[in-house]
Amino acid sequence: MSLSARDVTKRFGGLTALAKVSLELKPGEVHGLIGPNGSGKTTLLNLLSGYYRPDGGMIAIDETDISDATVQKRAGFGVARTFQKPRLLPTLSVLDNAMLGGWRDARAGFLSTAFCLPQVKADELALRSRAEELLHGVGLSHAINRRANLLEHAEQRFLEIARGLAQRPRFILLDEPAGGLTPAEIEHLGAVIRVMRESGVGVLLVEHHTDFVFRISDRVTTLDVGAVIKRGTPDEVKRDPEVIRVYLGA
Amino acid sequence: MHLPKKSISILVVLAALIALPWWAGDLYKLHLAALICAYWVLIGGLNLVVGYSGQLSIGHVGLLAIGSYCFAILAGTHGVHPALAIAASGALCALCGLLLGLPSLRLPGFYFAMATLAFALIVTEITLAQGTLTGGGVGLAVPGFAPPFDTPRGTYWLILAIAVLVTWLTWNVARHTWGRGLVAVRDSAVTAQAVGVPVFRAKLTVFVFSGFTAGVAGALFAVLQSYITPDTFVFDLGLFFFVCIIIGGRGHILGPAIGTIVLTALPEMVAPLAKLGNFFYGLLLLAVVLLVPEGIGRVFELLIERFRPRRGESHVVKPDLDRLAKAIEQGRAQ
Amino acid sequence: MFVALITGLATGALYAAAALTYNVMFSTSKVLSVTTGHISMLGGIFGAWFISTLGWPIPVALVGAMGIGAVFGLLTDFIAIRRVLARSDEHLWLLSTLALATMVQQAAGLWWGTEPKPFPRLIPQDFSAGLGDQKYWLPIVIAILLAMALELFYRRTLYGKLFVAMSEDAFAARARGIPTGRIRSMSYVIAGAMGGLAGFAAGQLTFAYFALGLTLTLNGFIALAVGGLGSNAGALVGGAALGILSAVATYFVGGEYQQTISVGLLMVVLLVKPAGLFGSQSVRPV
Repeated sequence: MSLSARDVTKRFGGLTALAKVSLELKPGEVHGLIGPNGSGKTTLLNLLSGYYRPDGGMIAIDETDISDATVQKRAGFGVARTFQKPRLLPTLSVLDNAMLGGWRDARAGFLSTAFCLPQVKADELALRSRAEELLHGVGLSHAINRRANLLEHAEQRFLEIARGLAQRPRFILLDEPAGGLTPAEIEHLGAVIRVMRESGVGVLLVEHHTDFVFRISDRVTTLDVGAVIKRGTPDEVKRDPEVIRVYLGA
Repeated sequence: MHLPKKSISILVVLAALIALPWWAGDLYKLHLAALICAYWVLIGGLNLVVGYSGQLSIGHVGLLAIGSYCFAILAGTHGVHPALAIAASGALCALCGLLLGLPSLRLPGFYFAMATLAFALIVTEITLAQGTLTGGGVGLAVPGFAPPFDTPRGTYWLILAIAVLVTWLTWNVARHTWGRGLVAVRDSAVTAQAVGVPVFRAKLTVFVFSGFTAGVAGALFAVLQSYITPDTFVFDLGLFFFVCIIIGGRGHILGPAIGTIVLTALPEMVAPLAKLGNFFYGLLLLAVVLLVPEGIGRVFELLIERFRPRRGESHVVKPDLDRLAKAIEQGRAQ
Repeated sequence: MFVALITGLATGALYAAAALTYNVMFSTSKVLSVTTGHISMLGGIFGAWFISTLGWPIPVALVGAMGIGAVFGLLTDFIAIRRVLARSDEHLWLLSTLALATMVQQAAGLWWGTEPKPFPRLIPQDFSAGLGDQKYWLPIVIAILLAMALELFYRRTLYGKLFVAMSEDAFAARARGIPTGRIRSMSYVIAGAMGGLAGFAAGQLTFAYFALGLTLTLNGFIALAVGGLGSNAGALVGGAALGILSAVATYFVGGEYQQTISVGLLMVVLLVKPAGLFGSQSVRPV
């Protein structure tokens, strides 16, 4: 079981952002995706999570082509993600934000919700306890009932991860989760990512902090100008002359 | 500790509302209270569209008009039982909401607002043109409710009951998963998609619901007016509904409810305001948008927060890894 | 039939002028202002007041009406746009311009009265001129002149080029040191003067009427969306199409369903070509 991009190409107008890029994310592994600015990392992440459609190649889960599936459908296949700039609902509480991740598990429809049928209460209880556990788990115990707009940057990042985990994902795609965090917070992030891996979630880690990526990834893919220049274990990638030249060189 | 206090205040307010005919004084004030409740039936439903899903419909007066005419024609011209006619008004307007929402809810904000404005104008056009059905410019007389709701008190209680029901329904939607999904649609469609909220269908669902409540409100409103013409449903009324919600605060129920009460009652109490009419609403709207875009309700929240200083709130993130592992594994086992 | 057609074309020209006004404001601020139609409403009312009540000579009254429009345009920018654009909420400008439009309409109604009042003759002409009457061709001429003047302005003048630069990429424009705030205010002044002129020129057709604004905001927007947001040629074509269609419909069905028909046209165009006939941008950024 895996989420993969196979020879995907993506163009914006005349610009080719990605050319025949392949990447496979397996459950229970941390896959680092690195590359200089503009190398196409976020584009690839948007293709995997369904915000873009590929112009060539395909996105697949196992052998099923999901290139044309909407973002919502992919959430149903177990693909969750976070954003480079955290996208929370500022007027809702931290708990509500995390519970939003459970949208797909709430079985009550609009009318049953309006009439508050028993199913609604059951959904609500289940989602609430899951969200609370996850919030305690990622370290937001102190802020559960706070309004999300009062959170500091690091808290927002961890809340996004909790929301993603509340989707009970098989794969979670993290877009620069370490951006703006202090070294101590990066350590916490690393610990949280390891727990996800050990619980069998596939983690795609798009990051600028190469040290961090090499430290916790099982495999690393390096992009440059829309093409893969090296993939392999952190050690292999670290030593690759091409990678050193385009990325670590300076 | 907290919940009982809340329930008690709700019960007190409900009792006061039910007892209103005895303490309101005169029949006119009772009529005004009934009118506020009828408006709230519409505004409560519209609140899910404007306040929660963030779709700025300024033309709900068109749906109100359709509901009113439907009731007047069925109950008046054809002698259908009023209860049935109310339900039919709601159903017809839900259908109209569906037909209006299907093309327009896919469009960006300004296009949608203009589509609802156009809808309101089209409804006026059609009521004027279809004179044999609607009485054209002359209008239609509207029968009252069936006994025991045919007295002023009975009418008030019936409308109050429906208003309370609508409040309860929208409150249920707002505080559960659906409410969070709608707020996501409003504040960040990208997030809504990411967690799997079907954005267009969610918008359409609440829009159709608001159509239903607007139709029911139309029937109640028509009875209170007792005679309707196309001039009863000027576009300004649609603007008024919309302004009540924005001023009360998006994403709340109590705020818009208070907005409805104050904005309906104030011009009746303060004569100069009635003369200024829309100018006053426009000014209020402008002031709110420029100063407190989250609505007046937010002002009170901020005041409360100021008086309850946060005692050295922590912002330190400290993961509890065992708990996290357990929570993830539990989720995956489901 | 010809009377219906020329009336339709003249009304369509007014809608086209409103669409042009939208375009000028949109180019620098990416805002579609609800006050667009109200600018022309003010031009009509003040024009009638200047000439009939104050007895001003017509050229002075024309400048006065354009001045009123320009001032209102500047006020729109100052009150409803400037502060709101700084915030991230994309719907706020809709609310603020709607609020301002409501206030202006009600104030005009209170001051001027809610009845339409006749607009004086601008050029000495016999009322028996029929189809050649100035009330028909004045708005048409003005709309075409406005569109041509705008094209010249965009292509030939420095400020026009700044407008274009800003409409293509406001962020880059600011980065290059263009005073974007001042350019935006200027575009609102220009749009105001244009709207005032159009309202003045169409006064004899529409009468000086306080409720004209909202219909014009809506129908000008329909002309704009049909023609394609941002395109001046599209605005003219959209307005003309709207005018001719409602004329034909008036002739065959009767005049009761004008609004229904123009919205119908819009729906058909949006279904077939969402960006409008001459539109290059997608509707997304709005």
